[in-house]
Amino acid sequence: MDNLATLWEGSGLYNLELGQLVMILVGLLLLYLAIYKKFEPLLLVPIGFGGILANIPEAGLALSALDQAIEVAKPAVLQPMAAALGATLDPSSGADAWRESLKAIAHGGAAPDQVRAARDIAVGVGYSDGMLYSFYTVAIGSGVAPLLIFMGVGAMTDFGPLLANPRTLFLGAAAQFGIFATLFGAVALSSMGLMDFSLDQAAAIGIIGGADGPTSIYVASVLAPELLGAIAVAAYAYMALVPLIQPPIMRLLTTQKERQIKMTQLRPVSKLEKIIFPLMLLILVALFLPDAAPLLGMFCFGNLMRECGVVERLSDTAQNSLINIVTIILGLSVGSKLMAGSFLTLETLGILGLGIVAFGIGTSAGVLMAKLMNLVSKMPINPLIGAAGVSAVPMAARVANKVGLESNPHNFLLMHAMGPNVAGVIGSAVAAGVMIKYLG
Amino acid sequence: MEDPGLLQDGLALMALGMGFVFVFLTVLVVSVTLMSKLIGRFQPVPAAVSTDKNTHKPAAASSQDDEVMAVISAAVHRYRTTRRR
Repeated sequence: MDNLATLWEGSGLYNLELGQLVMILVGLLLLYLAIYKKFEPLLLVPIGFGGILANIPEAGLALSALDQAIEVAKPAVLQPMAAALGATLDPSSGADAWRESLKAIAHGGAAPDQVRAARDIAVGVGYSDGMLYSFYTVAIGSGVAPLLIFMGVGAMTDFGPLLANPRTLFLGAAAQFGIFATLFGAVALSSMGLMDFSLDQAAAIGIIGGADGPTSIYVASVLAPELLGAIAVAAYAYMALVPLIQPPIMRLLTTQKERQIKMTQLRPVSKLEKIIFPLMLLILVALFLPDAAPLLGMFCFGNLMRECGVVERLSDTAQNSLINIVTIILGLSVGSKLMAGSFLTLETLGILGLGIVAFGIGTSAGVLMAKLMNLVSKMPINPLIGAAGVSAVPMAARVANKVGLESNPHNFLLMHAMGPNVAGVIGSAVAAGVMIKYLG
Repeated sequence: MEDPGLLQDGLALMALGMGFVFVFLTVLVVSVTLMSKLIGRFQPVPAAVSTDKNTHKPAAASSQDDEVMAVISAAVHRYRTTRRR
């Protein structure tokens, strides 16, 4: 009978907490959105599944060895760990209270060498890092995965339309206003006492407005790892919603006549220009903003591999197999951050709300900038392509094309919109560099 | 208002960040335009550079190039004449 009770007490059903149940449902919701609604399925399937794995009770897949030991170890193990952490456990209170206080000490207050000693005790009695925790440490904690994805994106990007019409870079710059306006919004929310965001966290939330998954994850992993789960989910979910969020804003800010503007044919761009561009961008980054070098360096490297034409095998790997492998690991790692304790908070709601505002402001800023440029320049610019300045390659460009076709069925804006689109990628990486420089 | 300093920091970062993004991309626009103009103007230059290099090479190589050219033009000539028949 005792054995039966042990089995029951070790079961998931007995140990399931309400928060974990909610998070498993959230994971299922993400899978539903990805599979049936086709919301960025390449990322939301691994993220949703990782989220479910991370919340399996007692399995501790997303916990470090130390956290796992604190969570489930016998009281006899907890005592030496408490000693290593320099804490004393009150013998009268139960093991559950010990776990709570140990957790609080291990995640704040304890010196690094004390934490390491406690970890050694945990490893010594047979606990090891959870699978998802290891994925996270390798892929995101080190910053490797978002950077490799950025290299793949670089290898997939054609800068031709941008080189043919460099002024569209301004549209990509204007759309980054979404990032900084959201940052200010997050700071304003916390100074009003509604939420509690530090400046670092506000910056990481703002970058959702860059509409660039790898950049968001990279910045969040540097500035606010505790919010990474919510930020990544918001970034990818809203990127999938671009075709719903953008068109109403674009129609509101432009007149029918402006939407019909035809743009002049883009000139052909020589191969030499395409080879020199990534190198030039790299040199400018090196000269002006070394903090953006990890992101833009990998981006330029990927693009050079694509354009130079002598390393087709490498370019092919970067934009296909490698990016796929990294996406799997990255998605599962992000999922590991969807643990009940850190995700089910008021702040997550705030992040989801601010994220959508960021997209809206970015879109409007891009469209308004295009209208302004139309006033001062001779070459006509259709303001719709300004909306493509919020990266989200190539979704935002397709949206601009589609809205343009509604007004004039013979006006194809796709190639024109690719210019601001890739400019947006550069712009958000530069914005990320500025924030890391200022706050890091 | 709990912390006006935070709000100020936010504003400062917003102005600084947006300003820098614009400055950087403006520099990029200028340099891209210059690069395109340069390449456009000196488009025939790569060919000129390659002939320059050829003159630096030993004379045997350039005479060999001439030979190859002669052989190729003869072949092209013959091909065209056979096609016409």
